[in-house]
Amino acid sequence: MHTSHLLWGQTLAVAQRLLLEQWRQKRGLIFWAVFPSMMMLLFGLVYAHNDSMRAGLDAAAAGILVGAALFFSCLGGTAAVIAAERERGTLPRLLTTPLHPAAYFLGVVIAQLLLALIQVVMLYSIALFIGVQYHGGLFLGGLILLLSVFSYVGMGFFLGARFARRSEEVVVALSAIGVPLLVLGGTFFPLEIMPQGMQAVAQINPMLHMNQAFKGVAAYGMGFDELRFELTFLFVFCVLSLALGIQSYQHLLGAEKSK
Amino acid sequence: MTAVLQIDDIHKWLGSQHVLDGFSLRVEPGEVVGLLGPNGCGKSTVLNIVCKLLSYDAGQVQLMGEPLNKLNYRARGLVGLCTQHCALYPDLLPAENLHFFARLYGLSEKDRNQRVTELMHRFGLENFAATRVGRLSGGWQQRLHLAVSLVHRPKLLVLDEPTAAVDLEARMDLWRLIEGLRDSGTTILLTSHHLAEAQRLCSRVALMRSGKIVAQGSVPELLARIPGQAVAKVESKNNEAIMQRALELGWTVRQHAGQMRLLLPHDLGLREIVDALDGTRVTAVSVQPVTLEDAYLELVGDSALVA
Repeated sequence: MHTSHLLWGQTLAVAQRLLLEQWRQKRGLIFWAVFPSMMMLLFGLVYAHNDSMRAGLDAAAAGILVGAALFFSCLGGTAAVIAAERERGTLPRLLTTPLHPAAYFLGVVIAQLLLALIQVVMLYSIALFIGVQYHGGLFLGGLILLLSVFSYVGMGFFLGARFARRSEEVVVALSAIGVPLLVLGGTFFPLEIMPQGMQAVAQINPMLHMNQAFKGVAAYGMGFDELRFELTFLFVFCVLSLALGIQSYQHLLGAEKSK
Repeated sequence: MTAVLQIDDIHKWLGSQHVLDGFSLRVEPGEVVGLLGPNGCGKSTVLNIVCKLLSYDAGQVQLMGEPLNKLNYRARGLVGLCTQHCALYPDLLPAENLHFFARLYGLSEKDRNQRVTELMHRFGLENFAATRVGRLSGGWQQRLHLAVSLVHRPKLLVLDEPTAAVDLEARMDLWRLIEGLRDSGTTILLTSHHLAEAQRLCSRVALMRSGKIVAQGSVPELLARIPGQAVAKVESKNNEAIMQRALELGWTVRQHAGQMRLLLPHDLGLREIVDALDGTRVTAVSVQPVTLEDAYLELVGDSALVA
């Protein structure tokens, strides 16, 4: 029987190890920071160039954070962690220890949450510097980001456990699945300029609702009532995504054991 | 005394393949037991069952007197596994790897610091304290791997071909370390394809074939089961003549991988053997005392019985 003390110790050990590894991979860390920062600066330049578009900058900043930065960092990062464990053969090693699957899962979630927090601070520092304004409540914005990170981590476990056996495959899978989702999620263009058919398809894209929810709070100062539908959608998706992630991880552990 | 490991008549099927067919083994505290056998005989399956990576279909396994299936996660704290593949985190330092695994086993901070310092010293890793594991040579990585498998002070150390992937020098180093562990009373279950490794390290050897043990005992006990005290490896242009002469002399003849091996009832010099085989067109001959390799060939039945 696992005591809560042991479980918590294992969770922290996993989270600390992941953060330490991330810190040691300096090149990866630079790209991790440069990608969203460059996007923010480029969008800032584009929007600032045209006075009529200046108002859209607040929404663009929110979209870049939720739709691009956290997507690649949390979903891609989680999938890469799983793929690396498989590649290095450390997963069977972990299976010989008393590490509880829940502690591992939670450890990854905590590490990704911390990385997401750093990314939020970094991105919004740049955004505020170039004139972006945050209009809504901090609690609601934080809740949406939290649900988004959980959803991405769940999807990351699914991708890493089911499809990506090697780190290179994570990059390919992320590009193939991620970019269409980003476009259909309204990260780069507003939904309104898309054809009717695409708009209908976009409605089932969870990223659209993450984007709309966070944009609603950050750029338009909306509250709980106005975002009820997006928040409900996001909450349900978050639960499903985490369940899928846990199930995929358990499936992977079973497969590794019977190798 | 309670056995560290007691395996009774276990069976394992993988699909239609009967991988373990009534396998039994007892490992006493402080013993180093070697599990030897050809590829596919079920050695790794046994180790995977002991490490709870695989279930078994019938029989009983006990660790420290408790049924393995009732120990659940606690079983993992009783066993330490070191395989030939170094499953470590290459971006972490040696002590960081040790600390990480120690935390998974629930060692307190004080105990962890003490244990990591002790293992870093014992395995000579202090000189590489600031080197990331991915930059260590294969031999040093395997040293660390062995240290990691001991970090929680397991009751049973399982070594699955621990020196298979390292060079000769590193192998000798690891042998010395394992001997040190043996001499300090660590209970070890080891598989290896290096019979010299098993002969050097093990207090008892179990020979496996087709999912069960066919012979077991200390190395001298196994050697005593060979019908000879020395073995002469002979090359000749007339094998028939050699066999005929050996039969006349009362020597046992075995053939393995096309090579003729004569089991001599007592140690004979090279000159005496050549003289005894005079007229049989011998082209090369060498002689040495019987080793575990001869016992393996004799008892696992890989060599063809000629006479």
